[in-house]
Amino acid sequence: MNASALLNAMTEKMRWHQQRQNLLAENVANANTPNYRGQELKQIDFGSELDTQIAPVTLATNDPMDFAGSGDSSDVADAGQQLNFEVTPEGNGVTLEDEMMKVSANQMDYQTVTTLYTRSLQLIRTALGH
Amino acid sequence: MTDFTASLTIAASGLHAQNARMTVIAENLANADSAGKTPTDTPYRRRIPTFQSVYDDTIGGDKVEVGHVALDMSDFQSRYEPGHPAADAKGYVKYPNVDPQIETMDMREAQRSYEANLNVITATRQMLGQTLNILKG
Repeated sequence: MNASALLNAMTEKMRWHQQRQNLLAENVANANTPNYRGQELKQIDFGSELDTQIAPVTLATNDPMDFAGSGDSSDVADAGQQLNFEVTPEGNGVTLEDEMMKVSANQMDYQTVTTLYTRSLQLIRTALGH
Repeated sequence: MTDFTASLTIAASGLHAQNARMTVIAENLANADSAGKTPTDTPYRRRIPTFQSVYDDTIGGDKVEVGHVALDMSDFQSRYEPGHPAADAKGYVKYPNVDPQIETMDMREAQRSYEANLNVITATRQMLGQTLNILKG
């Protein structure tokens, strides 16, 4: 297994969660603004992205969804308008309860990824003999 | 690379906006009985805060700001008080168009939004702490 590919994939996931946190903060702050409908990030299938990283020689990376590797700033996920449960008469479509649930879930997922990252580093250190 | 400062800045702008909203609500409630001193005076007119989202280049996101504070143009309330200095010829005094129940509801909304923004800041801070914990191994 290519360790750096795994770490790259996890770093990408962390970046995605950071970006999602920014979007959710926007939604919550604009929960009373008229005509604001809320935004959501497109889900990235990290399983297939990991496969892409592990076997790079068999894939041509011309598809913009394939990320090129660490440090590439073009791999920002697409933000799109989210589905609204209800829209107020002013035109605001943000439900605070939904957004708070998403913030909690985002935080827990981020915690999972960072813990996995730490464990992977520990594995490498053990392999090196520390 | 995105980082968490955008989240913190945006949530802070939300806090600021809800604060401004509370100020307007407090103003309305405090002046709910300000009828004026003479019959020609206009009583206090209820104020309504408006919000708008403003795109901020430095953080790359939509912050919220309080737009102009609009005046509520609905009718004033009238009460029959012939002895009042501001009573007109028929003895009616015009009172502000502030309904305390509506203001209390608004206050609850503002409080809820404020807490939501605070929670976003707390969650973001914890995520930042998690990131730093990677270094601790």
